[in-house]
Parts: sequence; C-alpha cells; structure tokens
Amino acid sequence: MSNIDETKLNPGEPEIDELTKDRYLGGHEYDGIRELDNKLPRWWVYLFFATIIFAVVYLLGYHVTKWWPLQEAEYANELSVASDLKKANPDPVVDIENMIPLTTAADLEAGHATFKKICSACHGQNGEGNAVGPNFTDQYWIHGDTIAKTVTIKNLYKVVIEGATGTAMVSFKSQLSPIQIQQVLSFILSLQGTNPQNPKAPQGVKYEKIG
Amino acid sequence: MELQKFYYDNKIVKMFAYATIFWGVVGMLVGVLIALQMVLPAANFGLAFTSFGRVRPVHTNAVIFAFVGNGIFTGYYYSLQRLLKTGMASNWMTRVHFWGWQTIIVAAAVSLLAGFTTGKEYAELEWPIDIAIALIWVIFGWNMMWTILKRRVKHIYVAIWFYIATFVTVAILHIVNSMEIPWAIFKSYPVFAGVQDALVQWWYGHNAVAFFLTTPYLGLMYYFMPKAANRPVYSYKLSILHFWALIFLYIWAGPHHLLYQALPNWAQSLGTVFSIMLIAPSWGGMINGLLTLRGAWDRVREEPVLKFFVVAVTAYGMSTFEGPMLSLKNINAISHFTNWTVAHVHIGALGWNGFLTFGMIYWLFPRMFKTKLWSNKLANVHFWLGTLAMLFYSIPMYWAGWTEASMWKQFTPSGDLVYPNFLEIVTQIMPMYYMRLFGGLLYFSGMFLLVYNIYKTVKAGEFVPLEAAEAPALEKEGARHSGESYHRFLERRPVQFMILAIVAVLIGGVVEIIPTFIIKSNIPTIATVKPYTPLELQGRDIYIKEGCYVCHSQMVRPFRSETERYGEYSKAGEYVYDHPFQWGSKRIGPDLFREGVKSGPLYKSDSWHYTHFMDPRKLNAQSIMPKYPWLAENDIDVEATPAKIRVMQYLGVPYPKGYDLIANDDLKAQAEKIASGLKSSGIDVAASKQVIALIAYIQRLGTDVGDSKTALK
Repeated sequence: MSNIDETKLNPGEPEIDELTKDRYLGGHEYDGIRELDNKLPRWWVYLFFATIIFAVVYLLGYHVTKWWPLQEAEYANELSVASDLKKANPDPVVDIENMIPLTTAADLEAGHATFKKICSACHGQNGEGNAVGPNFTDQYWIHGDTIAKTVTIKNLYKVVIEGATGTAMVSFKSQLSPIQIQQVLSFILSLQGTNPQNPKAPQGVKYEKIG
Repeated sequence: MELQKFYYDNKIVKMFAYATIFWGVVGMLVGVLIALQMVLPAANFGLAFTSFGRVRPVHTNAVIFAFVGNGIFTGYYYSLQRLLKTGMASNWMTRVHFWGWQTIIVAAAVSLLAGFTTGKEYAELEWPIDIAIALIWVIFGWNMMWTILKRRVKHIYVAIWFYIATFVTVAILHIVNSMEIPWAIFKSYPVFAGVQDALVQWWYGHNAVAFFLTTPYLGLMYYFMPKAANRPVYSYKLSILHFWALIFLYIWAGPHHLLYQALPNWAQSLGTVFSIMLIAPSWGGMINGLLTLRGAWDRVREEPVLKFFVVAVTAYGMSTFEGPMLSLKNINAISHFTNWTVAHVHIGALGWNGFLTFGMIYWLFPRMFKTKLWSNKLANVHFWLGTLAMLFYSIPMYWAGWTEASMWKQFTPSGDLVYPNFLEIVTQIMPMYYMRLFGGLLYFSGMFLLVYNIYKTVKAGEFVPLEAAEAPALEKEGARHSGESYHRFLERRPVQFMILAIVAVLIGGVVEIIPTFIIKSNIPTIATVKPYTPLELQGRDIYIKEGCYVCHSQMVRPFRSETERYGEYSKAGEYVYDHPFQWGSKRIGPDLFREGVKSGPLYKSDSWHYTHFMDPRKLNAQSIMPKYPWLAENDIDVEATPAKIRVMQYLGVPYPKGYDLIANDDLKAQAEKIASGLKSSGIDVAASKQVIALIAYIQRLGTDVGDSKTALK
C-alpha cells in the first residue's frame, strides 16, 4: 500500500524525527507543517475491513438471503405475538344490560390508565374538566336520566359508544372494548367528590343518585 | 531563484473571526432561550416571532451557518494563503464573500422569525436567500480555486483537499435540495414531495453535517493542530486514505435519518451500512490529529489551545462512533425522535466545532496582533467551563432520550401501553430539561470569557493587516514523472483533484436518489390519497410557518407501540402531495400523522383544537406547547390561493384545470362549516382566520387511508 518511492527521498539518510523516531517525508512541507511517513495503523485497517464485511453481510442478509425480517415483516411478527397474548387472556364478557360500576383496585387502575390515555385531554388529568369537557367530580351531569333522576354507568356507556352529537365527544366504540369502557366509567364514577384543583363550573343537571 | 514578495491578507481573517465570535454569542444566546422555553412556556412571550417553532431554526441556522460558517472562513483564509504562499487571488471577492455571508445571516434570522421558512430542517431559508447563498458560495469557491492556481507551493496540502471537497459538495447539496418553485416573493414549494423530498432533504441534511461541520473543520484541524503543537502530521498515507474514503462514503449515509420510516427498505439499508463503514475513515482524522501531538503531550497540560484541540478531536471521535451506532436499526428504534439525538449533535457542536473554533481563535489573535494571549489562565477557565457544560448538557439529554423511548414503548402484561398519555412522558423529563438549560448557560458563560480575553489581547497588541512574505515563483511541471505516486501527482493538479472529488461525492447521491424517483414500486400509490383542499393547503402552510414540525413528527413507524398510540403506520403513498414533507425528526410533542382520524386514538374535536391553540395549558396544565393567539387574529392569505394551486398543479398535483380560479370558493365554504361548528360549541371566531385553516389541515391528517382500518388490508 506504500505510495512512497524510496528513491524519491532526499539524498542521503532519510530524516528522522527525534521525539518519535519516525521518518519524515521529503518535500512535504507546508507553511512549516511537515508530514511523517507512518504506515496506516494495523488496527485501523482491520477496523475498516471489518466494517466493510459487516456492510456486505448486512445487505445480503436483509435483501438477498432474507435471513432477517424487514420492517413490515418485523411489525407483522410483533402484532401476531400481541394477538396471541390477547387470545390467551380474552376480555371478560360484559353484560351491558345489567352493568354496574366495578370496584376492584385492578379494574379501577385499568380504568385510570384508559382515562389518562383518552379522556384526560378534554376532562382534565383528574377529571376536573377543562375548556372543552365537563367536570366528572361534581354532582352535575349532562347525560343523566332526567326521568329516573339518576346517572347510571349504563347512561354513560351509551355516550361513550355513540358520542354526543354536536359536541367534542366522539364515539370511542372502535378504540375501546366493552370491558375497557366499563373500567374507565367505573374509574370516572369513583372520582365523585374528589375536589381536584381548578374544577370546571357545573354543567347539566344536579343528581343525587350517581353510579 | 528570485524571491517574489507578496502579502497575506490578515484583515479578512480578522473580519471573519469577529463575525464568528459575534454570531457565536448570538447563536448560543438563542439556544439558551429555547432551552428556557422548554421548561417555561411563558418565555415564548406570546408573540409569533419569539415562539419556539420559529426561534429554534434560528438557533440551528445561527450556530451552523453563522458561528461555524464564519469559523470555517476565519481559519480557511488564514491557512489557505500560507499553505499556498500567496495572497488571495481576488480581494474584492473576499470582501463580497464576507459581507454577502453576513447579509445572508441577517436576512436568514429576520425571515425565519417572520415565519418565512421552507419547513425543511437546516434548509429552512426561502428561495431568494437560497439564490444568494449559491452566488456567495460560488464566489468563495472561485476565489479559492483561483488562489490555488496562483500558488507558489507545488503540492496542495491535505487541509486544502478538505476545503475543495467542502466547496464542491456543499454547492451540489445546496442547489439540489433548494430546488423550489416560488408562489410569492418570499415563499415557495419544493419540487420534490413526500418520500423523495425526505430522501433529498436528509441527503442534504446529513451531508451538511458532513461537509459543513466536518470536512472544513478537518481541514482546519490539519492546519492548526500541527501549527499549535509544532509537530509533524502523523501519517500522510492515512490522510490520503481517510480523506477519499470519508468523502466517498459520507454522501451515502443520509437515509439513516429515515430508518423504520416510509423510505424503501433498500435505501434504509444503504444508509445503515455506509454509516458503519464511516467509522474508520472518521477515526482516521481523529488519529491523525491526536497522534500529531506525540512528543508534545507535556505541552497540552500548559497550552489552553492544545487542550481545546484535544477535547475537540476526542469529541469528534466520540460523535463519529456514536453516529454509526445510532444508524443501526435496533438502536435507532430507541434513539430516534428522542433527546438522544439532541445529545449526540451537541457533542459534535459544542465539542468538535465549538472547541476547535475556540482553540483556533485563541491561537490566531495573538499572532495577528503580534502579542501574547492576554490571559492563559482565563482561557483555561473557559476550557474547564466548556468541558463541564458539555457534561451538564449531554448527560441529562441522554438520560431524557432513554427515558422517553422506554416510556413510549412499554406495554402492560395485558398488552396496553403503560404510559398512554404523551404528556406524562413530557412531564417526566422536565428535570432533565432544567439541567440541560444549566449546561447551556455554562457553555454560554464560557463564551464571555473568550470575548473578554480576546478584547484584552486585541487592546494589548497591534494588528498587522498585511503580513509580508516572500517565496520563489512556482516552476511549471508537466506530466507525472517516474517514481511520482499518482496521488502526489494529483496534489499538483488542483482542477483534476476537484473533478475527482465531485465524482466521489456524486456516486452515492445518484445511486440512492435517482431510483427513488424513477422506479414506481418504491412509492406504491394509494388510490384514496387525494390532494389537500385549498383550506387545508393554507392550513398546511401555517403549520410550516409556525414550525410545528420542530416538535411534532408526522411519521408513525411500524412498531406496535406507535400504532397503539397513534394509529396505522405511515405509508409512502400517503405523502405524494406533500410539498414539502413534514415527517419531522423530534417528538417534543406527540406524532400528528393520524391526528384527524376520527376512529383513531388521537382524534379531538375542532373546539378542542381551537382551545388548545389559544392556550394549551387551559386543557393540560403541564403542557409546554406555546400559545398561538395570533392565529385567531390574522386572516388567511386567500389572495395567494390561486398562485399556490397553480404551483401545485405545475408540480403534478392533480387539481382540475382552472381550479386555481375557483379554489377560494371551496376554501370559504369549508371554512364557514368549521366556523359554524365552532360556534355551536360556543366559540366565536370568523371563518377567515388562520386558526380555521390550521384546524382544517390537522383534521385532514392521516385520514386518506387511516379512517377505516380495513382500507390497508
């Protein structure tokens, strides 16, 4: 790999740097900067070759021999693993007709997670409501049953499934499973009387019987 | 042989050096401001000009093109003349270069703050400034090549190889990536769309790093390191090999910015493997720099200049190892869109570019002013302050990046996201944003020590505007003589050298870009994808103007953690009418690509968006997004609609013939509908306001295929 011709060196002994004992290149001097005739460091050359081999193997493995999945296949694998997991742990069947709020800590925790993901954007992190959605922590409700004078989980279930026409509340039918809706509504109903900061002013009708 | 007398022009060096220092202060100050805005949204001041989306591009442009740009030219003008033993060929060209470059910087800052942007990162400047950049760049390069031809030194030194590669490659990158069709005096649409625009942009963006932040600085290193250490360059052979390998390989690496995105797989793989192959050529530069110090290490302890250089070159070595690692798919899946990238680029900017510039300035001023540096001690304090600053900056950002990625991706055993609310993750990394601000402030304060030290040095010395020198004229030498190596021969043939460099850098770009344009299968068309309505198009321009892409991506990657959070992953064919693409590179806020999909996890009503734009904290107390009250005050620029439609038609967007004339009717009808919908939710805003157009655009996002989950199966 040497591109230095010995015969091109200055006549006589090649000049040696005193501090490093390396050989100077004759005629290489630029504004006082000189250059040494050192070879490429071996480890550097090996590193370079190793990366080139890596590159070849990588391209072959992904695109010719197809040893490894490309991103679409990788995603499909990921989905099938998740769906197997879902099959192994099927959602409990929800009896919509006779639905009542769930009370176990696990269900409320799951409901809280859904709440944070979906509801909090319009109803506040703690259900206090914001400029868009109403407060969940007071006794005032927009979608209660004014005849029976109650707000039941079933009334609210209907709102989540159908949305509320003319408002920001859209249908969440395609995003949430029945059990997830039941859990999140149970969580919402558990917020009654929690008095979070910055509550939104009451909207709708005051109910005594909630849940 | 008769000695010829000539002069080195120090004045141009001094002018560029002052500009470097000035823009360094400005660029870093703006950086501190935007770091503050991350923890204190009120620091956006509720003004359009000072909001994050507009100021952040000012920071990046100021640091890259103003601070580092002027830094390049400072060292370049000083070294080029001396390496060639001649003054610059044209004095007026150096002056036009200087004043032209400063004018461009001022125009850039003003126009970016005013909201004139192409929406393409590091290439945000609009077409009149793009033309000015091209002209000034050619003047710089022309003068360089002319000076090289007038030289009194037979061979061109390795630093000059890097200057030549910088000149030709930046010219090519800038011109290709800036191809755009104006629809107004300061506004245009790029000729490329979607995937192609993304590929060209990151071919440019990555190589802006390579050929603006790296190769010219390697050139500076090759001059100032041996000069300051008074030691010979370690290995000429290594110079040759790492130079050619670096410029040839670098140009291919752009697609590593688009891994797991809607870019064809083969292009992504090229981006990965060429990035890996770059490790050795990059380290070649580091080795040649550090090993040049052999025999001078004892002086590194005393000389602040050498200290700055050693850390700069070490930071270069670290960045150029980390960069290839981040180009591996499995690591990129974690790092991309997070603050990890921010940490990575700041190791490069603060360490490599910043420290090399500081060292160079501390070395240059005493020489140009025939005196000693006023205080070595103060320069040492600057060095330690800067080094600490890098730690305070980068460690929190690495930590933040890792935290973000793990919170984005975590699933519960039952298969749901553990942190479905994006804001929770933003809140989690707030302490890291505070620490980063502190790191930035440290670095910024170091800059003041430099300013004071240089001020005192200048006061104490006497400037030598023209430095006399003498050397014999260069003898003509013809064809390669026997025993002369090919490369040695090439080193005395600068024009051929330049042509070879052009060939080396063109290969990668051509192989990657041309097939993506001409092979249809690379971007499968989707029948349901339709052009934007005129109102949506106007809204999109507001999205670009306000720099929404700075914080929000529009690219759902094919990971379950992303499709769960955002909706169906993004397909190449969905972006065919996006001039420019808006995929983004950072998620300070959530991805918005499926924002408009009604059945999707992100959908929010028009009234939500309105309220959110007016004051995000009304909806989420912890939100760090700026307020956009002016969107409800300013009118949509309806007069521009016909011109916009015509440019889109020219670019191949299939609006019906003559649609430009009636587009505003559709625009108004759609705006009225949105405004009346808002009215029924109790929000009173005229249909003519910008916020209406932005809502229309946001609600359109991702709906072409994302509305029904079956559309893609």
